[in-house]
Amino acid sequence: MAKKILLIEDEKIMINLLRKKLTGEGYDVTIARNGEEGLETMRELNPDVVLLDIIMPKMGGFEVMQEMKKDPELSKIPIIIVSNSGQPVELSKAKELGARDWLIKTEFDPQEVVDKVVKQIGR
Amino acid sequence: MSEEEEEKEEIGEEEKKASLLADDLASLENYIHDLFSFSPLPICFVSPIGVMLEINPAFEKISGLKSYELIGEPVEILFEKNKIKKVSEETLEKGEVEGVEMELFPGKENNVPIQVFTRVRRDEKEDIVGYFLGLFNMSKIRETQNELKKSQVALMNILEDTEDSWRAAEEEKKRTEEIIASLSDGLLLFDKENRLSLMNPQAEKLFGIEESEFIGKSVLDFFQYSELRPLAATLGRKMERLFRKELKLEEDFILEVSTIPLMLKGKNMGYLVVLHDVSREKIVERMKTEFVSISAHQLRTPLSAIKWTLKMLLDGDLGEITKDQREFIDKTYVSNERMITLINDLLNVTRIEEGRYLYKPVLQDLCKLIRGMISSYEPEIKKRKIVLSYSEPETKVPNLKLDAEKISLAFQNFLDNAIKYTPEGGKVTVKIVCDKKEVVVSIGDSGIGIAQDQQERIFTKFFRGVNALKRETEGSGLGLFIAKNIIEAHDGKVWFQSKTGKGTTFSFSIPLIQNI
Repeated sequence: MAKKILLIEDEKIMINLLRKKLTGEGYDVTIARNGEEGLETMRELNPDVVLLDIIMPKMGGFEVMQEMKKDPELSKIPIIIVSNSGQPVELSKAKELGARDWLIKTEFDPQEVVDKVVKQIGR
Repeated sequence: MSEEEEEKEEIGEEEKKASLLADDLASLENYIHDLFSFSPLPICFVSPIGVMLEINPAFEKISGLKSYELIGEPVEILFEKNKIKKVSEETLEKGEVEGVEMELFPGKENNVPIQVFTRVRRDEKEDIVGYFLGLFNMSKIRETQNELKKSQVALMNILEDTEDSWRAAEEEKKRTEEIIASLSDGLLLFDKENRLSLMNPQAEKLFGIEESEFIGKSVLDFFQYSELRPLAATLGRKMERLFRKELKLEEDFILEVSTIPLMLKGKNMGYLVVLHDVSREKIVERMKTEFVSISAHQLRTPLSAIKWTLKMLLDGDLGEITKDQREFIDKTYVSNERMITLINDLLNVTRIEEGRYLYKPVLQDLCKLIRGMISSYEPEIKKRKIVLSYSEPETKVPNLKLDAEKISLAFQNFLDNAIKYTPEGGKVTVKIVCDKKEVVVSIGDSGIGIAQDQQERIFTKFFRGVNALKRETEGSGLGLFIAKNIIEAHDGKVWFQSKTGKGTTFSFSIPLIQNI
């Protein structure tokens, strides 16, 4: 059975691109358009990995991580941050909250996202 | 004794008396003559019709003429005609005149100012036989008078000058006061005991206080007033010398404080404190930085989308593409990468300007960082057929407090330039040396160099050398500005040497003991 990825991202074009790429690699990709939706979906779906954007409407990435940390079940799910920005302050904060990896969109490309996913959960 | 004898004796007595009298008279005449000759006053005896009959030596002296030249001549020839005539008439009428001023030899070069005194002389029948004319030489007195007059004029001039300068000084003072009062900068003047002696209206306005309340108070006293405490803290108890030191009174109310010691002939006369309100500039600066920061962030999202789309196209994730299509997409991808670099540079600049730049520097090996950076440039170096030589000290360089990402960025900017502006087959040298005080990294090239007249501006934001522009149209002109700021944030220094057409060597040093 295909491994489940939850992509929490508000930018439509990024969603399309990543869905295409990751589906192509054989993953099962579910989309949430903001933090709130992401948390809800997460509870039902129990994904193998969460790809998480930081700046989003309603609930941002850091708040999602805070919520996940409080929940013993959710806190086990590995998180890879996919963000526009990558300031050291943000990186260290994400690490504190349990993020496993960090990607800056302008500096990485979709293949590298796949590589990082593989590194976390395998194929 | 007979009568005859007696008579004879009597006659003899008479004769004796007469002879004695004659003797007396002769001696009197001599006496008078001597006195007349001795008199330092020029005297002349004039007949009633105005002819000179007798003159004394003093008169000869003052007139410069001998007595034989004067005697028998009318007295008019020596004086102003109508004046002497008047004197004669008055003398004959009243018996004397006293102190009439006139001139001897009027209108001539040898003229002498004199005063004239006269007295008539009568015979035994009280008939006038003439008059004495005495002269009093006034030239010495005149001279003294003239000198006095000159002194008086000179004195008046001095007085006038003094008054003029006083007036000018007063005017100057008023003008200075006016300037101080109307200056847009706040001014405080402290005397040499550090007591306030002047506060202009602008300074009153800035602190919301009245000058009169604070005159004579020292900086120490200022600490007692809440309005002035921040200023006192900035100035310091000892009134240190300041140049445009920022003083934030409130959010968006910022002053720049400068102190200027007032020196007069090497002696300290006190301090001038200049308060320049930079609130507006600071707000604009912040808005500008925020604007650039926000727009750069906003630009990153679409740029990422473009990057990823192109990449997926190139990777074949969206289906096969033709060779032609690949070529175009490749070029678009490269352009997009440049745009991303530019945006990242802009963001770095805004972070420098916002003063939040270095992130937790940790002790680490600078040489290792640099070796890593160089190896990432190998493909580029090979492609451009550039010979790169690298050297580092044999003994290990002590670890330095570094923000690895930023130091890498700075070094990358230097190396990038060295490679970019060196023609194919050229040389690039990276050299690390270390002494007891600091580590110095030099990046030299055999490239196009920087023109002498542009060297001063090389670290300025958005500046690009004219020859560099001709060669490479891309480049934001931000790289060296960022690099310099990164090195300085590490307590280091940046410098360079360059010659057009020969090459450039950029160097930076980081002290072994850093205050960061």
